[in-house]
Amino acid sequence: MQTALRSETAGGRGRRLWNGMWRSRLLYLILIPGLVHMLVFKLLPLFGLVIAFQDYSLIKGIGASKWVGFANFEKFLSDPYFWKLLKNTALLAFFNLLFVFPIPILFALMVNEVRIKSVQRFVQTVTFFPYFISSAVAVSILYTFLSPQSGLVNMALQSMGGEPVFFMSEPGWFRPLYVALNVWQLFGYSSIIYLAAMTNIDPHLYEAADMDGASRFRKMFHITLPSILNTIVIMFILAIGQIMTVDLDKILLMYNPSLYDTADVIQSYVYRQAFATRGFPNYSYGAAVGLMQSIVAFILVLSANKASKKFSDSQIF
Amino acid sequence: MKSKLQGFDYANMFVLILISIVCVYPLWNIFAVSLSDGIYAAASKVYLVPKGFNVETYKYVLNNPRLGVADGLLNSFLYTVVGTLVAVIMTFITAYPLSKKRLAGRKLIMLVFMFTFIFEAGIIPNYIVYHGVGLVNSFWVMVIPGAINTFLLIIMRSFLDALPEELEESAHIDGANDLQIMWRIYFPLTRPAIATVCVFYSVSIWNQFLIPAIYLQKQSLKPITLVLYNLIISAGKDGTSLESINVNGVQLLPQNLQAAAVFLAVAPILIVYPFAQKYFTKGMLIGSVKG
Repeated sequence: MQTALRSETAGGRGRRLWNGMWRSRLLYLILIPGLVHMLVFKLLPLFGLVIAFQDYSLIKGIGASKWVGFANFEKFLSDPYFWKLLKNTALLAFFNLLFVFPIPILFALMVNEVRIKSVQRFVQTVTFFPYFISSAVAVSILYTFLSPQSGLVNMALQSMGGEPVFFMSEPGWFRPLYVALNVWQLFGYSSIIYLAAMTNIDPHLYEAADMDGASRFRKMFHITLPSILNTIVIMFILAIGQIMTVDLDKILLMYNPSLYDTADVIQSYVYRQAFATRGFPNYSYGAAVGLMQSIVAFILVLSANKASKKFSDSQIF
Repeated sequence: MKSKLQGFDYANMFVLILISIVCVYPLWNIFAVSLSDGIYAAASKVYLVPKGFNVETYKYVLNNPRLGVADGLLNSFLYTVVGTLVAVIMTFITAYPLSKKRLAGRKLIMLVFMFTFIFEAGIIPNYIVYHGVGLVNSFWVMVIPGAINTFLLIIMRSFLDALPEELEESAHIDGANDLQIMWRIYFPLTRPAIATVCVFYSVSIWNQFLIPAIYLQKQSLKPITLVLYNLIISAGKDGTSLESINVNGVQLLPQNLQAAAVFLAVAPILIVYPFAQKYFTKGMLIGSVKG
């Protein structure tokens, strides 16, 4: 095929391509809405990023706004608050990874050991459910449970003689609560992939181990875990790639000015630059900060993907 | 298997059941509080069963336009139905041509989709575009921008890719054109993938918070997630705080009203959960294996 094409003249190849395209003209017609959608909602915003180099105003538009070069970037990088945001973003991502990543693996190991199928199914059904609950609902429930006046948690603390804790307005509580909420929402969902990998393990391995008189724990650590190691490594690499991606919904729902000390991250800061209820929107500055974040995230995802390809044939993108 | 259950099995199952309870208890408690009399709810005396059982809270929450719960639910419902319908059709008609190997340029188009999937412009450039096409304070901001999710496009395309090519060849010989082949032959065969994608889209639209928070400032357009935020999380900050009232001898406190609103926001998810779980699992596994 390759050599046949190469031996043709350029004109012949062009005509052949055109004929093929003409025969598939209805397919191209079907593709038009999708292409227009991609152009407007996925590519056009990328061109909109040029406002990061402008002093953009929504009224003037991109054409008439003043160009300022790298001024927005310089301003952000020289702002002491930049380090605070960077630290908050990194710490939140780190603690999140520390708990959200390993818990589903432990959980999957436990579920895999259950020998009564109905119990196994029940546990999976129930623990998967929080994934479907919106962050708005999850944070609302958190608020009602932790309310200093009427929440169950504070009532329990007070009945034991403690003082009520203002969980939702103390900076020290933000990270633990954010991570706990993420674990609650995600562990059942994330364990599915590991459980699927475990069902693919050859049962002969366990039978052979039984003959040798291996205990349950030995089988878990010497058969089950090594068999899903590939999956674990790939999931870990991907999680590292996603490390810059915080759950903005959840942060916006959970934080308030009294928590900025720990809760304000790069994305929430970008959000406030443009959409805060008070103050003048600073689109260009926000876009510049967002662009830096996007570039770092892009590099991380690409390298993670490249690394994961080394570990397996299944590529993610 | 052959050996009897050991101590380990019981301990393991006990812990797992405990974990399961932690997953559902918060919601169950909210449900119990929403059906209780405010006197008990205020003292945090409701744990498992409603005390002073009544449905006045639900009647009040749904019949009180000032709270915006009924409108929010209706809006969310409309966004979800229209949004899912548009998104499923858009995703299918985009995935279909891209699954045909004879389509010149399909690799390039997929590459652009992938690129925009990994490199996000961010919320501000998006805002400028959406503003430019008139999506600020518009119903359609919940429908159109999210109509093609790259991840779901890949799932749909992988599924179409796996269908045998002979199907198309014989239909071509019978004189059918591409449009007819797509609708009459491939669309019905794609049903399992359609169901998966449908579940993904509908759950994500129902749960959407960031998009409406940015684009839908008009009260009449707010989905239930924003209404919850105003009623519970930012309560008191912007004057929408709830007061205690007495209806038909039942004490309705902010706690009951909030609980009822939260439960109403989750109820539709509970209803579709059995399907959702099945198809979500399928989609996740397709996505991770084939991607």
